[in-house]
Amino acid sequence: MTGQILPGARSDGSAWSVGAVGGAVAPGCGSSGGVRCVGGGVGGIGASPVRPDGALKVRGEFAFSSDLWADDMLWGATLRSPHPSATIRGIDVGAALAVPGVYAVLTADDVPGDRHYGLEVADQPVLAVDEVCYRGEPVAIVAADHPETARRAAERIVVDYGVREPVTDPEVALAGGRLVRHVPIRKGDPAAVAEVVVTGEYRVGMQDQAFLGPESGLAVPAPDGGVELYVATQWLHADQRQVAAALGLPVELVRLSLAGVGGAFGAREDLSMQVHASLLALRTGRPVKMVYGREESFVGHVHRHPAILRYEHGATRDGELVYVRARILLDGGAYTSTTPAVVANAASLGVGPYRVPNVTVDAYGVHTNNPPCGAMRGFGAVQACFGYESQMDRLAEAVGLDPVEVRVRNALAEGGSMPTGQVVEGPAPVARLLELVRDRPAPPPVGDDPRQLPGGVANTTAPEQVVRGVGYAIGIKNVCFSEGFDDHATARVRLELIGGEPTALVHTAAAEVGQGLVTVQAQIARTELGVERVVVATADTSVGSAGSSSASRQTYMTGGAVRAACRAVRAALLARLAGGSGAGADDGGVADDGGAVGDGGVVGDGGTVGDGGGRVAGGGLELAGGVIRDAAGRTLGTLVDLLAAGPVERSVRWRHRPTRPLDPVTGQGDAHVQYAFAAHRATVDVDPELGLVRVVEIATAQDVGRAINPQAVLGQIQGGTAQGLGLALMEELQVVDGVIRNPSFTDYLIPTILDVPPMAVDVLELADPHAPYGLRGVGEPPTISATPAIVAAIRAATGLPLARVPVRPEHLTGTG
Amino acid sequence: MNPSENADDSRPGVSRRSVLGGGAAVAVAVPLLVTGAGAEAAPVAEVASADLVPIKVEVNGKPVSVRVDPRTTLLDTLREELELTGTKKGCDRGQCGACTVHVDGRRVLSCLTLAATVDEREVTTIEGLARGDRLHPMQQAFIERDGLQCGFCTPGQIMSAVGMVHEGHANSDDEIRERMSGNICRCSCYPFIVDAIRDAQKVMR
Amino acid sequence: MRPFDYTAAQSVSQALAGGGAGTAYLAGGTTLVDLMKLEVMTPRQVVDINRLPLRGVSADRDGLHVGALERMSDVAGHPLVTGGYPVLAQALLRSASPQLRNMASIGGNLLQRVRCGYFRDTSTGCNKRRPGSGCPAVDGENRGHAILGTSDSCVATHPSDLAVALVALDARVRLVGRGGTRDVRLADFYLLPGDTPEREHDLRPGELVTRVTVPALAWATRSAYLKIRDRQSYEFALASAAVALDLRGGVVRDVRVAVGGVGTRPWRLPAVEEALRGRAARPEVFEAAAALAVEAARPLTHNGFKTTLLRRTIVRALTNLVG
Repeated sequence: MTGQILPGARSDGSAWSVGAVGGAVAPGCGSSGGVRCVGGGVGGIGASPVRPDGALKVRGEFAFSSDLWADDMLWGATLRSPHPSATIRGIDVGAALAVPGVYAVLTADDVPGDRHYGLEVADQPVLAVDEVCYRGEPVAIVAADHPETARRAAERIVVDYGVREPVTDPEVALAGGRLVRHVPIRKGDPAAVAEVVVTGEYRVGMQDQAFLGPESGLAVPAPDGGVELYVATQWLHADQRQVAAALGLPVELVRLSLAGVGGAFGAREDLSMQVHASLLALRTGRPVKMVYGREESFVGHVHRHPAILRYEHGATRDGELVYVRARILLDGGAYTSTTPAVVANAASLGVGPYRVPNVTVDAYGVHTNNPPCGAMRGFGAVQACFGYESQMDRLAEAVGLDPVEVRVRNALAEGGSMPTGQVVEGPAPVARLLELVRDRPAPPPVGDDPRQLPGGVANTTAPEQVVRGVGYAIGIKNVCFSEGFDDHATARVRLELIGGEPTALVHTAAAEVGQGLVTVQAQIARTELGVERVVVATADTSVGSAGSSSASRQTYMTGGAVRAACRAVRAALLARLAGGSGAGADDGGVADDGGAVGDGGVVGDGGTVGDGGGRVAGGGLELAGGVIRDAAGRTLGTLVDLLAAGPVERSVRWRHRPTRPLDPVTGQGDAHVQYAFAAHRATVDVDPELGLVRVVEIATAQDVGRAINPQAVLGQIQGGTAQGLGLALMEELQVVDGVIRNPSFTDYLIPTILDVPPMAVDVLELADPHAPYGLRGVGEPPTISATPAIVAAIRAATGLPLARVPVRPEHLTGTG
Repeated sequence: MNPSENADDSRPGVSRRSVLGGGAAVAVAVPLLVTGAGAEAAPVAEVASADLVPIKVEVNGKPVSVRVDPRTTLLDTLREELELTGTKKGCDRGQCGACTVHVDGRRVLSCLTLAATVDEREVTTIEGLARGDRLHPMQQAFIERDGLQCGFCTPGQIMSAVGMVHEGHANSDDEIRERMSGNICRCSCYPFIVDAIRDAQKVMR
Repeated sequence: MRPFDYTAAQSVSQALAGGGAGTAYLAGGTTLVDLMKLEVMTPRQVVDINRLPLRGVSADRDGLHVGALERMSDVAGHPLVTGGYPVLAQALLRSASPQLRNMASIGGNLLQRVRCGYFRDTSTGCNKRRPGSGCPAVDGENRGHAILGTSDSCVATHPSDLAVALVALDARVRLVGRGGTRDVRLADFYLLPGDTPEREHDLRPGELVTRVTVPALAWATRSAYLKIRDRQSYEFALASAAVALDLRGGVVRDVRVAVGGVGTRPWRLPAVEEALRGRAARPEVFEAAAALAVEAARPLTHNGFKTTLLRRTIVRALTNLVG
């Protein structure tokens, strides 16, 4: 049966594969006692235990942020600007206030604290002050006893706008000095010459995260004058900080709990309704719920930066890169959001995972009156990858090499250096990943089943009308935050007897957004503490920040924090064993862990500090099955006995090793924590007459360092790949004169189950020596190279240059 | 086992299931963006509800009598009036499938179904699939095959899949994809969803 | 949604008595409920006609009869349809999604409204929605709009796939009103926008579509519906073609061609049919005939590609039928 783990796939202990036709069962699975794993296993690291929230989700009992309710609650609605650019000469809320059932109508004047917020720069108004800079910008908010009342009342607010001509062309914005950030990279000789030169200009349309669960949450005013906010978000503490600042309250009075998140993909990093609901709750003294509609959702969050990328690649006749020059222009829209970081990513990752002696890159982010852009899975690396991978195919053609060969010839490897001068430490299996996807058996040739053909069930295409093409791409992504940002994650772990059974409680503020973070936290606790029963508490701000669920960083950071806290608990247990301090020495106090204890280390045997085998640091002791044994296997004690004196609890704030900023002139600096690589091979069947494309198969190869949960790794790879497929073939927000013209699921198309082909996946586990358990971030890399691989395959089938994504039928049939 | 505490478990006063306070009209859909630029803004009196329509409907095997504003969709009635929030509102426009329920055994979109039209009908929602602790084979399969990530589309996927199997259209992976193409998943669990449905339909036969 | 009074009719006469200006009939609801939410349609009365005896799929000498309240999914799977008129089954199965097909009625499908973004957005002008308020699509976002049958007042595409197949088969609709019963050729039932885009069809206020009849056509067993769209499913047509072919010895004895996704109404192509009748079923013949389809085409700023795409769609539909 297809889909089984291929025999011998683990021959070097570091790789496993999954066949293309589903039935995927990831390794390390089995079953045991109380924890059910996909295919089995004890539920620790490397197994694939089922999601602890899975039963609730399939029963419809998992409470998403739009499912929350409070007695006596009011509903909030937002009045948004119809103009991409206008001054506000006056706002008259009288008619809205007069609507029966309305309890509050608020504008910027009612914001008690900071009137602006933002992740990097606080330039975005909570409510528009004296101008609006994008269509959809919030201007006023209403609380009423019924959602329709709130919206109808909002319609009655009269705003006197002085409409201005919007700036909607990023080139015009750049020329006009509306610069958010310019990141130059200068390495080697700016005037280097080469025998073979290929140039190209590429464009990436505005993609949207389009999560299914709309922006929503509930704000409840607290007796102490503060507010409790239940919201779907990616970073509780960043929300807390900004909400408190806007409310003019100390942070302690703004308490956030994570409500169920219906997908994020970057769009929940920036605030949406958090401050608004809180303002209305504090003003009315009642809980306020806000839920965006779908059109409002499209307008209400940031999008992926559309990009114009100009590349010039110079190489020897043998295809060895001599130089890369690039100019990348990202349209950041109306407000800063995370544009500075996106620009830095695009620049520092802008030549791809290749050895390039001479690099000149200029990446720009500009302000326009288009909808604001910010984080979306891939974060600048997606756009750059489409540029540089399209170039590598042009280069291959120019020097007469096949596309994989030209890439392998230039592949970055361990010890190589990035254009920023940063040395790539740890494995960088660029060549191997390309070879893995290349060497996969090709999918069978097109058959007779219409469902397998372009147009699919529409029965448009017969086998002889089909041209097959194959394309390759490889991408590079940074993992974690960069450029010297002091990123950290905190975990509190408590071990105690509950009903006589040792139970670990893990408490972090980390946002589960579907990636399986709650599962992973429990797995780490099981492995580190040798217990089976783990409870992962609701994420909230009563524990320290876990940082953002973005940048593929959470398993690394929150996983690292949980591991560190577990090890601190282990150390405390050891002390008890030795007759040391009992219960009571465990309260408060968050220990800082600079990551020196237990970074990565040897995967598997060894008993060294830092491996995940349940071995206690330094003592050669083993914690497993609730029993503590020494190196000789003698039982020293049981958790049940040790915990009889009371629980053990430790909190650790965990950091990765520091990064450095990029030099503002040369772009040099050790800016990134970790690099992650994924390669794709896409096989498409094209009907050139009708312009139809069917992705027959997409094969991914990715190095994940250490698969904490193999099943979840596969889910992330499939999910990211599908989003890359969407960008290649169908996803684009049509922004015309600053207005999103297709804010609906019928006009902004995301892939259906019919659009996503069988996926073959090869996973490498080559440990990063600096990372917890050697792991690498997983979520973004597959999104990055999927798009250029698919477009490369279409080019191979059609011979068309295709310099823009998404590719539409009319790009293949001609516009005649 | 290993419960993950949920937002509704421990916070006083905030729950997923509280009774909608006395007799207010339930939530009804509203147009597009509120920009104030809509030239056709309704007069304030429009906000008040029209004559309520009494309906008797069997929901998950239990008879329910409610009086609904004719504008109310089945989706909003389930979620707001009957506290059955398992059915999700992803778009409210019939464009994503997250609101899929069964009416008289057929899978339909509850966001485009007026509640008034299900008088004397049988409605099954995701909450009606399991028998106490015993999950429906489709639910079980989605867990075993990890056919979910964020979970928002999951109730709709499961209801749609069960409906599809009953329609007799789950006979191959290709057919499954074709007949599940009305359920969008942004996390793109699609390959695992196909696996889950393939497993479940063997058990359901 | 604006408030409305809701009643459920128990009989056709009761439904007709309740009809008139300001009243909408509710069947599957997939168009009406959607547009009421957008406040594009704001009826004061909604009459639920789902209990009316307008069901059944049957065949007799006159042809295939389909009750207007039959659901799309049931008709798509009915043996009389799959066996005798595959183009109908295919058009139905290419539409919407399985759930929507379970809900939507045949009558409602034929009467569905356009998908134009400006029509659906009450904050913009739209001559169809508000006569005289202009057509932003003419110079705006019009990639999905029509190249045939447009006027300066309206360029919106008719979105129904089923209607295209029915028009190809020369179907008739039966309309029942207080004034009596009449049968209208479906191709005549749909109106061109002209200066009055708000009038989309020949349905008088208070009239009900009760059934659709497809005249018996033995050679409709060789028929198909091709639909070109931006993703594999759950999406409207960029271009589509419904074709039926009476093929004997490699010669086209008779043919039906109608196209969708490109016209302000389902577009029958008599000139194309004429150019095919009696000719050899060969690619060059098909291409020459298909070229006639776009002679009157008036592309807009963003949909010029539809001219080429439509020609090729017609050719492909015919080619695939020849096998």
